[in-house]
Amino acid sequence: MPQHIKRLISVFAIFIVLFLVMRQVLKPSSFGKLGHFRADAIYENTLKPMHYTIADSCTKCHKSVRAEKDKGFHKRLKCEVCHGPGLKHSLFAEQFKGKELPDSLKLYKPGERKDCGVCHQKNAARIKIQFDTINTTMVHQIDLAEHNPPDLKANEPANCIDCHNPHQP
Amino acid sequence: MEDHLQNLYEVLSKVEGYVYPNEIELNWSILIVLYPYITGLVAGAFILASLERIFKIKVLKPTYGIALLTAFSFMLVATMPLVSHLGKPLRAYEIMITPHSSSAMAIFGFVYLWYLMVVLFLEIWFDYRRDMVIWGNESKGVKRFLYKLLSLWTTDISPKAVALDDRIGYIVTVIGIPSAFLLHGYVGFIFGSIKANPWWSTVLMPVIFLFSAMVSGIALVMLIYIVLTKVRKQLIDMECLDTIAKYLFYILVIDFALEGLDQIHRIYVAEESFEALHKLVFGKLFYTLFIYQGLLGTVVPLLTLGTLQFYKPKASIRKIIYIILPVLVLMGIFFMRWNVVIGGQLFSKSFYGYTTFKTGLIGMEGYLMAATWLIIPFLILSFLLWLLPPWNKIETSHE
Ligand code: HEC
Ligand code: HEC
Ligand code: HEC
Ligand code: HEC
Repeated sequence: MPQHIKRLISVFAIFIVLFLVMRQVLKPSSFGKLGHFRADAIYENTLKPMHYTIADSCTKCHKSVRAEKDKGFHKRLKCEVCHGPGLKHSLFAEQFKGKELPDSLKLYKPGERKDCGVCHQKNAARIKIQFDTINTTMVHQIDLAEHNPPDLKANEPANCIDCHNPHQP
Repeated sequence: MEDHLQNLYEVLSKVEGYVYPNEIELNWSILIVLYPYITGLVAGAFILASLERIFKIKVLKPTYGIALLTAFSFMLVATMPLVSHLGKPLRAYEIMITPHSSSAMAIFGFVYLWYLMVVLFLEIWFDYRRDMVIWGNESKGVKRFLYKLLSLWTTDISPKAVALDDRIGYIVTVIGIPSAFLLHGYVGFIFGSIKANPWWSTVLMPVIFLFSAMVSGIALVMLIYIVLTKVRKQLIDMECLDTIAKYLFYILVIDFALEGLDQIHRIYVAEESFEALHKLVFGKLFYTLFIYQGLLGTVVPLLTLGTLQFYKPKASIRKIIYIILPVLVLMGIFFMRWNVVIGGQLFSKSFYGYTTFKTGLIGMEGYLMAATWLIIPFLILSFLLWLLPPWNKIETSHE
């Protein structure tokens, strides 16, 4: 075999051996424990801070809101859908009963027209099919610009929540 | 109120219709557009090189070395957009050391190593070995060391050894063609195999990617050849350019037909996703799809190249055409990748809404980063052309 081919083959051999050694050394230690992936990735993900809580945890302190909501059209919506992640709030709000909440525990109160529009604004891309007989979960669509728009001069009600109770629309 | 909630409301006001929260943000950004673009350039440039070598199209000789080195420089950078996209540079090598055949993503290590080491590296090595030995003896200092290192301190340049190099190089190229097809077909496969995405999921995807890769690679080599010859103040070989243009035309026709077929199929079967895609194509993708990719990137080059097959204007005019066309084609293919990657993420997979794509100038996933990964291959190429100038090689006719 010619000299240069021999050299080339040895270089490749060295490379492959090096690769295998590196693979042993560099492979993350938990790799392959549970499958072809780094098992620690699962653990690391559990270390991420949580933001949301379970649906029922709000009920503990806000029974009346829950009761109100359960009777209305919004009964299927979870509180956090509108108010945002509430884990911190539900853990620490207790001590501030009757007082002003500190900013870090305050939740969003989506009372503006655009907030309701997130779900209710008319949009061609949303479901168009209507089931007559079935009690649908389809969200009713209105046109924000047309449905009782605010009239600044006449001092008429402007926000959706002036007419609709957000918890029992 | 917490920051990320503020952000959520902010982005929600930018989406149209209903989009699931996990689809609001486009996870595959401009860097993932670059990845198939760059690998496409690699595969395309390599295939142009093999046209000369395997199919013995001798007029393409002036571009053979350039095409190979171009493919190599872009291949070295091909993974970098992925690495900077993933944002964990310290863990980036893991994808290379833990390849696996069960996942299209994890098999990347095999595909990449095979193509880079076994095909491109070997072909260039065998092609240049004799010249490196000679140059190594002629030059001094660092350059001498580099040549010696690269030629592994071999000295045998007897006709017998050179003939052997040539034969092995030929075999490697023969293996290389299906490998190039595999490499880029693979990139298309990643998209085509995603069943849940009607914009991507088509068996034609690998083939479309392949032909668009050839188109872009050929256009790139054409452009580099013209620029290089101008820089070196040499005469441009018009016959060579005309031949490249001819092949560009053929492959562009196939590419156009395939993509047209894909769209016609989509329109004809009109699955439930059709309406959503229709809105996407005429809305957010209108400019990138119809103007940049379709009109400027495909139709104009197609018509011009088609005309050139029948009517040949003066060489000086052809030269200008051959500078403008590759630029248009390269842009068109870039937007083809854009339309696939970004377009496929713009609509909600429930077909009820659309999100928007915004990327900044700076940052790990910004335009500057993307530009960097497009410029670096050219720097590598300049270095390689300085070290291994194909025009200084001893004339060999590949037999
Ligand atoms: C540990 C008891 C507790 C839990 C659990 C709890 N809250 Fe509260 N919440 C409070 C207290 C105390 C206040 C302070 C104002 C008050 O007394 O009404 C408050 C106030 C609020 C306010 C009004 C804030 C403002 O700025 O006016 C909202 C909205 C709210 N909670 C939503 C929720 C939601 C949604 C959940 C479930 C994720 C929840 N709360 C869980 C105790 C609780
Ligand atoms: C459709 C969205 C929506 C949902 C779902 C919702 N809320 Fe509200 N909530 C609002 C809005 C809007 C306000 C602000 C009303 C205002 O400013 O007068 C509000 C106000 C509140 C307040 C403050 C009361 C007050 O009078 O200021 C509390 C407490 C509250 N919500 C608790 C809850 C709890 C607990 C749930 C779940 C059982 C819930 N909310 C579900 C929209 C919602
Ligand atoms: C997270 C999405 C969401 C948000 C935000 C939301 N809604 Fe709703 N809304 C629903 C759903 C779901 C229903 C129940 C289906 C239906 O009847 O449309 C509903 C029902 C209603 C209805 C009864 C419609 C009917 O059937 O007559 C009214 C009125 C209404 N919402 C008003 C509001 C107002 C006012 C706000 C702003 C405070 C609001 N919604 C915010 C999802 C939402
Ligand atoms: C001036 C009071 C007023 C305001 C402000 C108002 N609404 Fe209404 N809304 C009504 C009344 C009354 C009805 C029931 C009669 C009807 O269908 O028009 C209604 C009906 C609805 C319905 C059910 C529509 C249907 O087809 O059954 C929705 C959804 C709704 N409103 C959402 C909103 C939202 C979202 C806003 C804020 C952008 C808003 N409303 C603001 C008075 C109001």
